[in-house]
Amino acid sequence: MENPDVAQKQPRSEPPKSTLPQPGRPVPSRAYPGALIVVEGTDGSGKSTQLYLLKRWLEIGGYRLHFTEWNSSPLVKSATRRGKQRRLLTPTTFSLLHAADFADRCERQIMPLLQGDYLVLADRYIYTAFARDASRGCPPRWLRNLYRFAPVPDITFYFRAPLDVAVNRILSGRPKLKYYEAGMDLGLSYDRPESFRLFQARILEEYDRMVDSDNFVVLDGTIAVNKLQKQMRDIVASKIDLKRFAPRPQEAE
Amino acid sequence: MPDQEKEKEKAAAGVSAADTPAPAASGKTEEGDAQHFFGEPLVGFDPSGITGQLVVIEGMDGSGRSTQIALLQEWLESEGFAVQTSGLRRSNLVGRDIDQLLAKNAVTRLTLALMYATDFFDQVEHRILPALRAGTVVLADRFIFTLIARGVVRGINRDYLAGLYAMALRPHLTFWLNVRPETAFAREFKKAQAISYWEAGRDMSLSHDLYWSFIRYQTMIKREFEVMAKRHSFIELDGEASVSTVNKQLRLRVGEQLGIRATKYTPSAALAHLWR
Repeated sequence: MENPDVAQKQPRSEPPKSTLPQPGRPVPSRAYPGALIVVEGTDGSGKSTQLYLLKRWLEIGGYRLHFTEWNSSPLVKSATRRGKQRRLLTPTTFSLLHAADFADRCERQIMPLLQGDYLVLADRYIYTAFARDASRGCPPRWLRNLYRFAPVPDITFYFRAPLDVAVNRILSGRPKLKYYEAGMDLGLSYDRPESFRLFQARILEEYDRMVDSDNFVVLDGTIAVNKLQKQMRDIVASKIDLKRFAPRPQEAE
Repeated sequence: MPDQEKEKEKAAAGVSAADTPAPAASGKTEEGDAQHFFGEPLVGFDPSGITGQLVVIEGMDGSGRSTQIALLQEWLESEGFAVQTSGLRRSNLVGRDIDQLLAKNAVTRLTLALMYATDFFDQVEHRILPALRAGTVVLADRFIFTLIARGVVRGINRDYLAGLYAMALRPHLTFWLNVRPETAFAREFKKAQAISYWEAGRDMSLSHDLYWSFIRYQTMIKREFEVMAKRHSFIELDGEASVSTVNKQLRLRVGEQLGIRATKYTPSAALAHLWR
């Protein structure tokens, strides 16, 4: 029994830094063969529709891909739901729970799949936390540190829509805004739609601030869906060597 | 002269302690906040009204923390001080969720570390800070130091964890009940006739033998504590000593902090069984 113990102990002594991406690094890590594409933007900016269409395009082409959504880890979900329902969350715990959720997906899905040479598509990424939690008052440096284990995306699409357009898309389609969604915890206004508008304005400002520092590819969320999708596909095809994610040759022939 | 030197030492310790946990936070932090928090001030909380005292007891499983806290609470209450306790996994927000994650054993190290951080800050915001504002003595059964040590031995970057806890409250007193892992093992085993998966660090694949896994894991944790003990001026107590000896030392230091002169104490009948 002693020998396997010794053998297993060895990898643990590796310096931890080598496995963690360094903070704020603006270029994607080449420590894994896969590629990461993320979409960001305020609610109602059209990002989810566009990522869905991109996913369909790649799926139909038979590419190896995985799709992951913000705030969807089953391990953390019940805690987040309870915290929201009972309004137990403060800016700090709101931020930490979402980081725990992201860490779970990162460690169990995103990183292993990037290592396994997959194309990973993420609907919202760490920039959602940077924009939203900073709007709630969390210190930006603390937030950057919190998420520094996250791999840097190969492409970050930022769907930008004017505040009124985005807010109206959400307000017309949704019967009632949820408490935290509307930013009611910030005490900006007692009126939910008004609070939502003020909160979204702050978030938009935070997103705009990251365009240069985080290499966002800015797309106009107001143009026609199919035209926007054409732009998105062209950019993906030009920036990512899609061939490597194509069906394996023996399968294709 | 000796007094002046002491003060200098204290000031130096205070400065270094402020800088080390959150290297990112140096410079901008206001003096008032630095006194209360390790680095960044906690969002939306004004620490100016703090009149209570935060006393932390750290130490590995089997070091006697919970016994000492029960005795300290009784002694403080008999002296007329209001006491609040806190500990890991006791938050309303995620305490039970962490229990479930641990039971399922499907959780990865970083997720678990962040769930513990959520649990910690929920207690700071909803239990510890309100109590401190009301002038209560808060006895914390473990604090960020255990959480940092557990993360570091699992390969999570030390600076990352220090940054994560930059908004933690700085304790007024931090005691470290230091025991040998072998003693801790004997005490823990006697308590439950078993050693739990996490206590033995089984997730780290250190050994298939439960005893050696426990010893190796707790030795690694202890090494991390030795590093932090200097940086954060822990008051180290010999956890191998008898309950009454350790308790006397605790009462002396806590009494000094709170201005309690007579520190004589004999536990009530309810707690007499702890006194050996």
